[in-house]
Amino acid sequence: MPKTSAGNGESVSCRVAVTAAGIVSPLGFGLSETLDSLREARDCITRVTRFSVAECRCKTAGQVPDDRLLEGRHRTNRTQRLHRASHMMIRALREGLAQRPGFEPELTVIGTTSGGMSYGEDYYRSLCRNGSLRHSPTWVANYTAQKPVIDAQEAFEISAPCQIIANACASGTNAIGHAYECVRSGRYERVLTGGYDALSELVFVGFDSLQASTAEKCRPFDRDRTGMALGEGAAVLALENLDVARESGTAILAEIIGYGISTDNFHMTQPNPSGIGPHQAMERALQSARISADKIDYINAHGTATPFNDAAEGKAVSELFDRVPISSTKGMMGHSLGAAGAIEAVICLLALKHQFVPPNINFRVPDHGVDLNIVANAARHMALGTVLSNSFGFGGTNASIVIQNFEA
Amino acid sequence: MSLAIAGMGWVTPLGNGVDPVWERLLQGCEAAEVKISEQFSDRSYSAFRVPESVLANLGPHPRLRRASVISRYAAAAGLAALQAAKVKLDPQSAERIALVFAISNGGVIYTKRFYRDIVEAGAQSASPLLFPETVFNAPASHLAAILGITGTTYTLVGDSAVGLLAIKMADDLMANEAFDYCLVVGAEEADWILCDAYRRWRLLRLAPPIEPFNKKQRGMILSEGAGAVLLARDGPVVIERTHPGMCYQRRSEAEQVLKRILCDLDQMEIDFVISSANGTFIDQAECQALRQAIPDAFVYTPKPAMGESVGAAGLWQVIVGTQALHSGELPPLLHGESTIPLRTSASRVPVAGAQWAIVLSCGVNQQVAGLLLRKVRDRR
Repeated sequence: MPKTSAGNGESVSCRVAVTAAGIVSPLGFGLSETLDSLREARDCITRVTRFSVAECRCKTAGQVPDDRLLEGRHRTNRTQRLHRASHMMIRALREGLAQRPGFEPELTVIGTTSGGMSYGEDYYRSLCRNGSLRHSPTWVANYTAQKPVIDAQEAFEISAPCQIIANACASGTNAIGHAYECVRSGRYERVLTGGYDALSELVFVGFDSLQASTAEKCRPFDRDRTGMALGEGAAVLALENLDVARESGTAILAEIIGYGISTDNFHMTQPNPSGIGPHQAMERALQSARISADKIDYINAHGTATPFNDAAEGKAVSELFDRVPISSTKGMMGHSLGAAGAIEAVICLLALKHQFVPPNINFRVPDHGVDLNIVANAARHMALGTVLSNSFGFGGTNASIVIQNFEA
Repeated sequence: MSLAIAGMGWVTPLGNGVDPVWERLLQGCEAAEVKISEQFSDRSYSAFRVPESVLANLGPHPRLRRASVISRYAAAAGLAALQAAKVKLDPQSAERIALVFAISNGGVIYTKRFYRDIVEAGAQSASPLLFPETVFNAPASHLAAILGITGTTYTLVGDSAVGLLAIKMADDLMANEAFDYCLVVGAEEADWILCDAYRRWRLLRLAPPIEPFNKKQRGMILSEGAGAVLLARDGPVVIERTHPGMCYQRRSEAEQVLKRILCDLDQMEIDFVISSANGTFIDQAECQALRQAIPDAFVYTPKPAMGESVGAAGLWQVIVGTQALHSGELPPLLHGESTIPLRTSASRVPVAGAQWAIVLSCGVNQQVAGLLLRKVRDRR
C-alpha cells in the first residue's frame, strides 16, 4: 500500500469509517425504501416523461419523481429556482445528517457528469426559438456543476470547500475514493462525499446516438443484452477518521479499506476489450486494502448492459476472482452516471448491514466464455464481510472501492 | 511538505509559451479583441481568443483529430510543462504521475453544436461523434492518452477558482509517495453562447477593456487557452501552502471569505498578490479584503491583459506569480485607475527581493481559493 505523509514527513495510514449515508434514486427516497426495492428486485425503469423521446430508440429510464423531491421543504421563490439536482442532493444530505447530527466536513468531494444540464437546455432552446429569456439568469447561475452541492451545503449551514469530480461515469466512485484517501492520509478527519446527476435530454439523446442505450429491457451481463437504461439520483456518505469517530461514540456503518483507479487510453467511449482498465482498478483497490481477491464476498458491478462494457468487466472479474457473487443493480434503477458510484456504494452499505446481495434483474442467459456467478433476478441472503464496487466511464476512467463491515 | 513547480506551459491569446507570453505581459500588451457572432442572434460579443497560428507546432495525434480546441490547448500546455521540466514519460514513470484537470465550461463549442442538431432537426440528427467530446473529462482523457498516463486522472469542475482547487487536490495527491509528479492543467474555450450567458448574468461587458477594481463593475471579457503546472518535490519556486478553499453563499459574503483565506495564508511578509480581479463584483470584494488583510503588498491581475479564462484562470495566475518571483518584476496593471486603494502600478514594478506571493482566486459562482508561493533562496 502506498505510504502517505500528513504534512510533517511522517507516514500515516488512518482507518476510514462511513458514519452516515443518504440516498435518492429511482429505487426510492432514503435507505429504507431503497432496501425494500433491492430485496424485492423491483424494476424501476419507466417511460421517460421529462422530454420527448419520440425520435429515440430508447424510451425508458430510471426517474426520480418531482412531486416527492420537495416533500418537507417550504416552497419559497428560492427553492423553486433550484435545479432538480439540488433538490436531490438536499434530500440525500438531509438523510445523512439525520444519522450523524453535527457532522461538519472539512472538505466535500462530489462526483457528477452534467451538473444542471437541463437548465442549459432551457436556455439554449429559448435562445434559438425566440422564447422568453426572463429566467435566463437563474438558468445560467444554477447550471454549473458545483451549484447543487453548494445549495445542499447551504441548506444545512455547511460551508466546506467543494471539489467536484467529473470523471464521466466513474465520478461517484472516484469522489468516494479520493475522499477516502484524504482521510486515510491523516490530512482530513471528516469529508463529505458522494455523487449526483439528473436526467437531461442532451445526455439521453447522446447515449441513444451512440446506440449505447437499449430499446428493450436493461439486462446486465446477459448474453443477449442490448444496452443501458439511464437513471438519475444522488447519494452522500460521511467519511471520518475511524479512531476519532470511535472515541467520540459515533456509530460506524462500515469501513472503506481500499481504492483503485486506472486510466485506459484505448478509446474515448469503449473500454479496452482485454479488460485491462477494470482489471487494474480492481487489482489496485485490493492492493490498497491489503487483501487478496478471495476475501471479497460480493462485487457490485458497473454492469451497464452494453456489449462492450460488460464483456471487459466480466473478463477482468473472472481473471481476478473465483466465482464471487456479482450483480449490477443498474437493471433496476438505470445508470445514473456521476451518481452511480455513490448510489452503488450506499447499496453496498445496505448489503453489508442486512447481509444480502442485491439482484441482477432481467438476466436470462449467461454470456459466452465468461464464468461469472451472477446473482440472477432475486436477492440472495448470505454472509458478507467485504465487498467491492466498480465504476467505469468515458475517457477510460476506472475506479473500484472496497468496503468492509466494521467490527468494533 | 511543500510542492515545487518543475515546469509550466501556457497557451493564451497573447501567444504560446511561458517566456513569450511573460515578455508581452511585461511590455504591457493586451490581447486582440475578436468579435464572435451566432446565427440566431444579431448581437455579437468580444472575446480574447487564441490565434490559430499558436498551435501550429502541436504535433498530430489520433486523439486530437476530432477533438475540440480546448483539448488542443490543454495538450499543448501539458506537453510544454513536461518539456520545460525535461520529464520524459515511459510506461513505468507514467504510473508515477497524476493528472488533475481543471475546467469550468468545458467543450462548449461541440456541446452547443450537438444540442443544436437535436433542437433544429430532432434526436435522430444527433452526432455520435460529437457526443463524447461534450463530456467534461474529454480533454483530460485525450491528454492522458497522449502522455500515456494509466493511473490517476481527475477532472475537477468549478468556477474560476477551480484551477487553485485543482492544485489543492494535487497537493493532497502528492502526499502519497507513489507519485513523483502531478501535472495540473486548466483549460477553457470561448464561444458566443458563453458570452451571452455571462452577459445575461450581468457579468460580461460587450467590449474591452476590463477595468480592474473599478467601483462601476462594468464586467469582464471572456478568453480561452490553457495553463499547465508540473508539480514535483524540488524546484526554485515552491507552493508553500495551498488553502482548501471556501464557498460564499451570497456575493456580499465574498469579502469576508477572501479575508479569511488571506489571513490563513499570510504567514510571512507577503511581497505581492496575484489577484483574480476581472471587472465584476469580485473586484471590490478582493480590494476590501486585500486592503484590510495585507495592505502593503503589491497587487496585480493579469485579466485586463488576457481576459477571464475561467477554468484556466487559476493556472494562469500561478504561472504569473511564479514568473514574477523568478524574474523579480511584476507587469504593469492595465486599465487600472489611479484611485485604486491598493498598491498597484501602471508600469512595471521591480520586486527583485520578493520571496513570498499569494495567488487568490474568487470565482463568480461561489468558490474561492488561494495559495502561497515562495521563492527558494539561492543556496550558493
